[in-house]
Amino acid sequence: MLFKTINLLLPVLLPSWRFFKTVAASPRVEVRVTIDGHTSDWVCSHPEPDHIGLGAMIARLFWNPQRNNKLYMVSLSERLAEAETKHSTQELARLVGATLSGREGAFEYRLLFLQRDGKKIIRFLEYQSPLLPIGKGAA
Amino acid sequence: MTSAETVQIMGPMLGLVVGQQTLEHLADRSLRALLALRLVLCGMLILGLYPALATWGLFAYGIALLHRFDGPYNGGSDKMTMLILACLSAFYIAPSPLWQDMALSYLAVQLVLSYFVSGYIKIINQEWRTGQALQDVFLFSAYPVSTSLRGFATHPRLLWGMSWAVMGFEVLFPLTLMHSTALLFGLLVAAAFHLTNACLFGLNRFFWIWICAYPSLIWFQDRIIG
Repeated sequence: MLFKTINLLLPVLLPSWRFFKTVAASPRVEVRVTIDGHTSDWVCSHPEPDHIGLGAMIARLFWNPQRNNKLYMVSLSERLAEAETKHSTQELARLVGATLSGREGAFEYRLLFLQRDGKKIIRFLEYQSPLLPIGKGAA
Repeated sequence: MTSAETVQIMGPMLGLVVGQQTLEHLADRSLRALLALRLVLCGMLILGLYPALATWGLFAYGIALLHRFDGPYNGGSDKMTMLILACLSAFYIAPSPLWQDMALSYLAVQLVLSYFVSGYIKIINQEWRTGQALQDVFLFSAYPVSTSLRGFATHPRLLWGMSWAVMGFEVLFPLTLMHSTALLFGLLVAAAFHLTNACLFGLNRFFWIWICAYPSLIWFQDRIIG
């Protein structure tokens, strides 16, 4: 416990401040549901809106929980790509599952990463969850 | 302005900012029981009631949240929040005014480094110097808040200019310490930079928490150079 606390605190008290050193591979979380034996196509778990007006941007300075949850999912995905941990997989399952509440069945989620490869942007699969029951652990 | 006066200004600012972060967390039902007391501590800081106790309490909460999220929930903004809480906590238990000044100075130096290091690691990277990195941010990173903003990726000259504006500002920021007026101008530009990031990339917490640390730098400049 003490060792872990020190490990968590050191990067906070001695921060590196290397924001956007490089634009690394970028995660996308996709989900598909299985209900009554029928499995849907993969869709984006937290799709971005087409457009956000200036008024909404200003309002989001004060109240932005969904966006911050999405940024947390980016962090979790990057941590999971680095080293799979129970915490990352469970938290992602919880946050993805929260978008499906009210349905009965199961779901899977997967992490795709987008990356520049020369002049092209390539996508690759980094992780796919097992089938999980909808509703379990939803926020 | 003395270090004690600076901390008196920062306390209520910190209470408001951590309070805003806490209210956002309360949207997540699983965290409500954990965070109710945190709101009380924020209220104490805003009202100036037992500020040392409230600061220490919020620092302890920060450690609990680092465990809960297995690291920062919101990257750099959580790091800055904890850094401010740690420095103010150290200020309150410092055995003498000299050590109080040291605690506040550490925060001020970290604030300067947050801009300078961030600019330096970009400027030594060819992808940033050519504008390619910022183009990639808009093209495929997870940060733009809407699909329409990804259209910026089709304006490479604009992004090249924006890249150099950001890098130039960040690496030159330490020079604003030379004069109090220059520092105020630098902090205004920095706040505008964070505001832009909040609008384009949804990084609202960075905007508020970095502003919260600014009084320490204004005090530091006056104490060391002014």
